[in-house]
Amino acid sequence: MKKYISLAAVLGIVWCFIHGTFLGIVWCFIHGTFLGIVWCFIHGTFSFNSFIFGLLIGLVCIRPFRFLYKPESNFNLFSPPSRIISIIRYFVVLIKEIIKANIVVAKIVLKPKIDINPGIIAVPIRCKTDLGITAIANTITLTPGTITVDISDNKSLLYVHCIDASDPDAVAASIRNGLEKYVLEAFE
Amino acid sequence: MINTVLNVLSDIVLLIGLFFVFLGMLGLLRLPDAYNRLHATSKIATLGAFGVMLSIVLRTGFTPLGVKAIAVGLFLLLTAPIAAHMITRAAHRHGVGLCKESVVDEYGKACKLSKK
Amino acid sequence: MISLLDFSLIIMVLAFIPCIYRIIKGPTIADRVISLDALTTVIIVMLGAYSYDHNSAFFMDVALVLAVISFVGTVTVAKYLDEGVVL
Repeated sequence: MKKYISLAAVLGIVWCFIHGTFLGIVWCFIHGTFLGIVWCFIHGTFSFNSFIFGLLIGLVCIRPFRFLYKPESNFNLFSPPSRIISIIRYFVVLIKEIIKANIVVAKIVLKPKIDINPGIIAVPIRCKTDLGITAIANTITLTPGTITVDISDNKSLLYVHCIDASDPDAVAASIRNGLEKYVLEAFE
Repeated sequence: MINTVLNVLSDIVLLIGLFFVFLGMLGLLRLPDAYNRLHATSKIATLGAFGVMLSIVLRTGFTPLGVKAIAVGLFLLLTAPIAAHMITRAAHRHGVGLCKESVVDEYGKACKLSKK
Repeated sequence: MISLLDFSLIIMVLAFIPCIYRIIKGPTIADRVISLDALTTVIIVMLGAYSYDHNSAFFMDVALVLAVISFVGTVTVAKYLDEGVVL
């Protein structure tokens, strides 16, 4: 089994060097490592051999779709530790908000008479990068009574369908002050 | 001792998850229009399914069954917002109207403005 | 005395009924897509409960594939409704 592992490592490195630039090689290995971990989850066993097998299959799989994996120019591999702490805090807040959202919608469903006043409102956001906008949109969908519908053309407004839109300013203020603060700290 | 506690805990989490999935389907039946139904299915049903997967993990630990259950739960939790977002936008552009209790529709106004 | 598996399967079959009603009766096509997505979630939960009771990993593979196919199908139908073409 040792022989196969070393063979796989050599093959993977040779495969990656076809990419050319050093940044392309690093990005290829990062995505390959991610796909290897996913392979471990799907296979059901966490062992070194299955990880190497998944890494090899991942490198083969992302080769035809190379144009989707554009390497960012300002990418730094070692992010500062304060950012990791804020990412952990963001996930804690996210779990709390998901549970709160379920209780809110469950109460609405269980009421004998449904009296809601839904509507689509516009929420201004401060995030600029694509990763930040994706994170805030998915967070809004998982939080109480709101679903993201679309983003405006100049990427400064999110259209949000809200299950209780009788006071649009309060909803927008709660999104801006509550969730977007953590997203800005974690992803920008 | 700790095995018994984990078994009882996993049974409780399983029952909570089943109850939440049932509530989501009830919301699908009762709420008035497509957007509000999406609120019910994309939040409650997803958390219910995640709860069932969590109960499997609590029962079996890191066996192949538990690890696959983690994968299914995380995948559901990751893809539910994306699917909800795409269906909402497609429905609004396809012309599905909001229900008559609705208050405001900023997105429809913005679409009309950009068409002119 | 019914077992936990029987109880969970009974609840999930009760949860089938609103989905089937929405698929047949739903006023717009978006309602049908939403209820098909919800139906897949119910089937995933049923498979999870079955493998929970039998302690076998085979049904979990089926649930994983079903989750992936449900997501891809939903996105495809949404894109078709939005733009009129799939690819």
